[in-house]
Amino acid sequence: MPEQIQKVLGKHGRSPDELIPILQDVQAAFGYIAEDSVKVISRYLRISENQIYGVSSFYAQFRFTVPGRHGIKVCLGTACHVRGGSTLLDSLEHGLGIHCGETTEDKRFDVDRVACLGCCALSPVVQIDRDIYSRMTVNKLTELLKNYE
Amino acid sequence: MTKEKKVSIIIDNRKVEAKAGLTILQAAREAGVDIPSLCALEHLPSYGACRLCVVEVDGIRGFPTSCTTPVDEGMVIRTDTAEVKTLRQEVLKLLLSEHPASCLFCGEQDDCKDFQGTIRKVGVTTGCRYCPNDSLCELQDITQKVGLTETSYPVYYRNFPVEKEDPFYDRDYNLCILCGRCVRVCNEIRLNGTLSFKQRGKLTTIGPAFARTHLEAGCEFCGACVAVCPTGALSAKASKWSGKPDEIVETTCPYCPTGCTLDLKVKDGEVVDVSADYDSPTEHGLICVKGRFAIPEYVLSPDRLATPTLLVPEGHDLVDWDGALDLAAEKIKEAGAKGSCVVVSPDLSNEDLFVAQRFAREVIGTEAILSPVLYDLGSDLRAFVDLVLTSEPIDCVESAKGILSIGLDTTYGFTPLGIAVKKAARKETALMTIDDGECNLDFLAEEAFQSDPEKWPEYLDGIMKSMSGNGKKGKAPSSFFKKGERNVAIVGPGAIFSKKRKEIFERVLSMRNDLGWKVIVCHPYTNLLGMLAMGAFPGLMPGSIKSDGVLKFKDPAAVVDLKGKRKVGYFVGEVPSDGMPQCDYIIYQNALPAPEGVKANINLPAALFTEVPGTTINFEGRILSFNKASEPFADSMADWWIMSGIAGRIKKGALKYSSLAGIQSEIKKVVPGFAGKDKKVPRKKVVMEGKAAEKAVSRKNTAEMPASFRGVPLHDHVAGMKVIEERRHK
Repeated sequence: MPEQIQKVLGKHGRSPDELIPILQDVQAAFGYIAEDSVKVISRYLRISENQIYGVSSFYAQFRFTVPGRHGIKVCLGTACHVRGGSTLLDSLEHGLGIHCGETTEDKRFDVDRVACLGCCALSPVVQIDRDIYSRMTVNKLTELLKNYE
Repeated sequence: MTKEKKVSIIIDNRKVEAKAGLTILQAAREAGVDIPSLCALEHLPSYGACRLCVVEVDGIRGFPTSCTTPVDEGMVIRTDTAEVKTLRQEVLKLLLSEHPASCLFCGEQDDCKDFQGTIRKVGVTTGCRYCPNDSLCELQDITQKVGLTETSYPVYYRNFPVEKEDPFYDRDYNLCILCGRCVRVCNEIRLNGTLSFKQRGKLTTIGPAFARTHLEAGCEFCGACVAVCPTGALSAKASKWSGKPDEIVETTCPYCPTGCTLDLKVKDGEVVDVSADYDSPTEHGLICVKGRFAIPEYVLSPDRLATPTLLVPEGHDLVDWDGALDLAAEKIKEAGAKGSCVVVSPDLSNEDLFVAQRFAREVIGTEAILSPVLYDLGSDLRAFVDLVLTSEPIDCVESAKGILSIGLDTTYGFTPLGIAVKKAARKETALMTIDDGECNLDFLAEEAFQSDPEKWPEYLDGIMKSMSGNGKKGKAPSSFFKKGERNVAIVGPGAIFSKKRKEIFERVLSMRNDLGWKVIVCHPYTNLLGMLAMGAFPGLMPGSIKSDGVLKFKDPAAVVDLKGKRKVGYFVGEVPSDGMPQCDYIIYQNALPAPEGVKANINLPAALFTEVPGTTINFEGRILSFNKASEPFADSMADWWIMSGIAGRIKKGALKYSSLAGIQSEIKKVVPGFAGKDKKVPRKKVVMEGKAAEKAVSRKNTAEMPASFRGVPLHDHVAGMKVIEERRHK
């Protein structure tokens, strides 16, 4: 990993303004922002790890945990919320034993929430990897997860 | 000086002249108009977080925050209209929607304290004012100022556990109003970057990255965040419930030669807390953990020696001062000039050092005025004194082109210098660090050389070579240190106490002498300059640092027997330790007991710097004063009083002092700089006399010296320092 991250950093200057572009590239390269990456970025940009964490935790686009093999996104936009999106999220969190933004111990799934997937007529919707599943129920979702290993 | 540009503005129908460049808030405060604010602070850049300082300005739409709006010629400002008032109340209500408000507008407020304790058998208290900041709280003041008497919003209690795992201060973020003062002081004033805002919106919290503790995240425990917190969210563990201080006494920190100004907070006759003074010329308020947090617990330690005691087979016998002084005098008289020595601490005040050297020379008749400096430095003392006497002030790093730090980590000490270095490195200055591991300056360094001290001299050679090389650029290390430019070398404790210090000192001296480097030395001996100036040093008489700043230095090992066994050792504020002469009979004069394993035959309780006045000399040669903040603990007495008492019993009429002023007037007569107005001791150069003693003593284990005062490690008495020392040696 150290070489890989150096490669990412090599594309950027050392001004603190580069922080967000660097974070984006690091996330693209590794799928998440690891503690070790933060340390390397801190040395490179000469700002403290705590400041970097402050910036990156502000934006929803950055994650600090290893992504699972499959990413589940539950829509909690207005329409999905009204039609039970949060119940779906609760059941997922409960069933997988993790919180939103975390990854299961076996790295099979990670769970996140999104504000809208743009198909409100089909609400409530859940996205797994690149597929969108419409009119979901807790039972349908439980069955569906069995297809992902 | 050129006259500052002024603009004329109108505040609340009053014409006011204000300096150009000020914000409306600053201009208003200077004109005596009070605008409430929670996030603005004198030494911090404007931020505009709390929105309480909103005002009306003609020609500006809406309500600008006065802390972020600069004054302009002809501005018409209204700070107190009905509309502004309502707006402020609304803003405050929103602020308070996340802050428990029972102490702010409860109907029982005034009676709460009086009726809190109840006479019952169970530990019941009534009332709900549980905040350590009660009656010191800026939020309480502001609520009153803004005139808010109730809130229409429910309080959203965030239910965070109180964070207590770090040393020195606790954090209850349920009380936090996210004004950002702590984050800004940590990042912008201290340049430390431990605190930052995490997450956003209503999930926002403050703290270091991930789930790290402050200790792990590199916190210096300078307490600056605690001092600026307007609420009770941040509070010092040791003093959180002591309430409003009765008195504040300005004094000097005795824990290192930087000589930071401290404000001691006194409550019920005890020093309970300390704060920094941002207007102090030496350190600009950038004090370290020792000055900020390690004083009350040291001076109020339950282990303080209370009365004179004698060692008897069964333990210790209490005696009165007369008995103890008689016995001490008798023992010293018996041992005579050859059989006794005086060991002084470099942390003593000038006055105590002056009396100590007179005691040794005039009463006992010996030059054996020993101190740990002699044993720590051994045969490298000459070079060390040479570097120390000419050490540059902190300001010199500001204009440096290159800075080289050798064995320096400024996390828990020498923070004013560390911050100055960081500031310079963030601008144009090239910083290079040499240390045996990672140090706190590394991340700002162009190059960080981490290796065993064995290799440091070689590395310094490389730097010197490439500087004196003819135009050819040397290898990597030193291409940014150029001849003829201002370069500063900082010699830190890591270098002073390393195995290779002889070689390191040699090289630094030749960098200074031949290549024009400026040198700063960071050492732990608080009043080392005082020792030299007062002559509390073998072979140096008082006034040895002449008025032209020249010190003729003789190697103490050539003047006096440093090792030979003595019958009686008189330890003034110092602790018998490894390498010092063995003494059959120990007269131990200190505030805290000698470490285990040391058999002190007479214990004489000494008062500390918070209890008796005195002066000290910092590394720049400034004469600074210790001021009395509380009465001496129990029966303890000033060091000079005790010495004078023993002296009078050995030789009738000797060292008869009745007050500090008497000692000071003697010092003024013989020590250059003391009588002067600028309160500075001259320092220019050291001239070596005689040869260096071939066989000098040196101590075995100096590399891991803990922070200590008067020979007693701080961590033995200050709980949090234990954690700090562990971290330092990781």
